[in-house]
Amino acid sequence: MRFRDILATAFSSLTRHKVRTALTTVGVVVGILTIVTMVSLGIGVQREMGDAFNSVGLETVRLYPVTDEVSAFDPFGQVERTKLLTPDLVAQLQARDDLVEVTPFLRIPNGVNIVVRLDGREAQAAPYGPRPAVVLGPFETLPETLAGTDEPPAEGGSVVLSSALLEDLGIAAEQYAGLIGRPVELVLYAPRGESQVFPLEIAGVIERQWNSSVSLALPDRLEMLQWWYNDPDYMAHRGYDEVVIRATSLNDAVQIVNWLSTLGFEVESLKTMLDMVNRGMIILQTMLGSVGALALLVASIGIANTMIMSVYERTKEIGILKAIGAAPGQIRSLFVLESSLIGLLGGVVGTIVGWLLGKGLNWLALKVLEWQDVPMEGTFFVVSWWLVLAALAFGTLVGLLAGLYPAARAARLAPLDALRYE
Amino acid sequence: MNATTPSAIRAVGLTRTFEVGETTVEALRSINLTVDQGQFVALVGPSGSGKSTLLNLVGGLDRPTSGELWIDGVELSAGKEKALTEHRRQRVGFVFQSFNLLPRLTAVENVALPLMFVGVAQRERLERAVELLAQVGLSDRLDHRPTQLSGGEQQRVAIARALVNHPAIILADEPTGNIDTATGAEIMALLRCLNREQGVTLLLVTHDPEAASFADRVIQLRDGQITEEAAP
Repeated sequence: MRFRDILATAFSSLTRHKVRTALTTVGVVVGILTIVTMVSLGIGVQREMGDAFNSVGLETVRLYPVTDEVSAFDPFGQVERTKLLTPDLVAQLQARDDLVEVTPFLRIPNGVNIVVRLDGREAQAAPYGPRPAVVLGPFETLPETLAGTDEPPAEGGSVVLSSALLEDLGIAAEQYAGLIGRPVELVLYAPRGESQVFPLEIAGVIERQWNSSVSLALPDRLEMLQWWYNDPDYMAHRGYDEVVIRATSLNDAVQIVNWLSTLGFEVESLKTMLDMVNRGMIILQTMLGSVGALALLVASIGIANTMIMSVYERTKEIGILKAIGAAPGQIRSLFVLESSLIGLLGGVVGTIVGWLLGKGLNWLALKVLEWQDVPMEGTFFVVSWWLVLAALAFGTLVGLLAGLYPAARAARLAPLDALRYE
Repeated sequence: MNATTPSAIRAVGLTRTFEVGETTVEALRSINLTVDQGQFVALVGPSGSGKSTLLNLVGGLDRPTSGELWIDGVELSAGKEKALTEHRRQRVGFVFQSFNLLPRLTAVENVALPLMFVGVAQRERLERAVELLAQVGLSDRLDHRPTQLSGGEQQRVAIARALVNHPAIILADEPTGNIDTATGAEIMALLRCLNREQGVTLLLVTHDPEAASFADRVIQLRDGQITEEAAP
C-alpha cells in the first residue's frame, strides 16, 4: 500500500467527523500553544537579556569598596568602609593597557535635596550620571540629546538638565537651545538647617520625560558631598562608591577580576550575572514547558479515546477491508496515521495561536511597562524555526503515540467478528 | 480431471468447532470436498448447517479446527495471518448478502479499493474499476454512492469489487438474499456468465432453490456434514 493512499484514506476519515476531529484537536492545540508561548517567552527574554548584557559588554567589571556590617541602630549613618576605592587605585587601573575604560562613580545620597534655580524659578531634581559610555542597565536606553551636550564636561562646572525638569521650571522646548552656556544655581539643603548654593553653567538638555534630573560631573559631586558631610577630606575618608572597568576582552576581564579579588575587593562581573540569569531562565522555561507537556499528556488521552471510539464505530468497515485484502499492518498504519494527523493539526494550529498569543502578550507587556513609567522596546516572545519544527514534530509524536493502542486493537480484530458487527 | 492442474478447493477432514459457553458446537464435521477449477458449486441447507462456515474457511476469514484445506494447490489451514491476508488478496473475492460496500466511497472507488492494499497506483486502479463496472453493466453509475444505488446495483458493484484482483474463486454468501426475485435472477445470471466466460470458480451459499439452479453442482449440508450431492 502506498503512503499517499494511507494518507488520503486517513485524511478522509478525519474529515468525515469534523466536529469530533476539531474537539479532539483542541486538546493538542492547548498543549502545543502553551509550550510554544512559554518556550518563545524563554527564548525572547533570554535573547533580550543577552543583547542587553552584550551591549553593556560582558567584559565590564564593577568594583565596590569593602564595607563593614551595617549598624542596625543607625539607618542613616554611614557604613564604615574598610577598603577604599582611592583615586590612586583608579589611576593605577587607568594606567593598565588591558582596560578600555575605568570610570569612577560618586553617588549623591538619596536624602540629599537638590533644588535647581533658574530665572527665579525653582524645581526639585535628582542627580543623574555620570555614566561610562557603554554601561547601561539591561533594557535601559540612552536619553536623546535635545540641546548642547548629553554629558557634563568631566572637568566640572556645568550641568545637563532633563526635559522633565525644564518643564517643571516652565521652560518650553523651543527655548532649550538658548539655555546653553547660561548660569544656573543648584541649592542643597542639609538637615542641619544650612543651605549652600552651587553656581554652575548649563551644558545641555536631554530627553527624560519622567524624571526631573540634573547630570553632574564628578568634581561637582565631590564638592557637594564634601559640603553635605562637612568633610573637606571626603575622598581620603570614603573614596569612590563604585568603579566600572571595561576590559579589552572577556579573558582580560576574568584576569582583572581575579587580580582585584586578591587585593581584597568585592567584584561583580556581568558574566556571572548573565550566567545566573541564564540558569534562572532555563529553570523557568523547563517549568513552563512542563505545564504544556502536562496539557499534551491530557490531550493524548483525548486522542486515544477518540481513536478507540472510531475503531468501535468502524468495526464493520475494518472487517470489510480485511475481507478484501487489507493486512493487519495496513489497518494499523491507517489508524496510527489518522491520530498522527490529529496531532499534527493540533501542532499547526497550536503553533499559530501560540505565536499570535506571544505577539499579543508582548504588546500587552510593553503597554503595562509604559503605563508603569518603564517604557522600553523589546520582543519577549520569539518563535524560532526550530521551535516551530519541534512543536509540529512533538504534536505529531503525541498523536502517533496516542494512536498506537487503538490502532493495534483495530489491526487485531478478527475479520469474521468484525464483519458480523452491526 | 487433469492431474497437473490442482483442484480449486480440496478439503480433507475439515472440521470447525465453536466454543459457546460450556458447550462445543460442531459447525463442520470432517468434511471432504473437492471442487474443480471453473466449477459453479452451490452450498444449500438449513440455517446452522455449516455452509457459511465452510465458505468463510475457504475465504480465509476463519481457520479450521482440524483437517486440511487446499486452495489452488496451497495448504491454507497451516498459514499464518500474513498468508491468510495474501490469500484474501489474490485468490478469492467475496460477495456478501448485505453487499458490504463502504458508504462514503463511490461505486468506482469501492471497486478499486482492494487494489489499494496491493499497492497499485490510483490511476491504474480506477481504470480497472471502470472496466469492471462496465462488465457488470454499471457504466452510468460510476460516481454514485451505495445509498444512491438500488440493491441489485449495489450487488453488481460488490461483484465487480470481488473480481478486481483476478481471483480464482468467487465466494458468494446469499448474494440474492437482500434483493427482489427478478433482480436476484439477474445477479445469478451475471455470476453464471462470469463463471462461464472467465472460468472463475464460484462457490455460492444460498437458501434459494432458484439461485441454486444456476449451479453445476448442488451440495446439501446438514448439521455440519454433506448429506447429498446433486447436479440439477
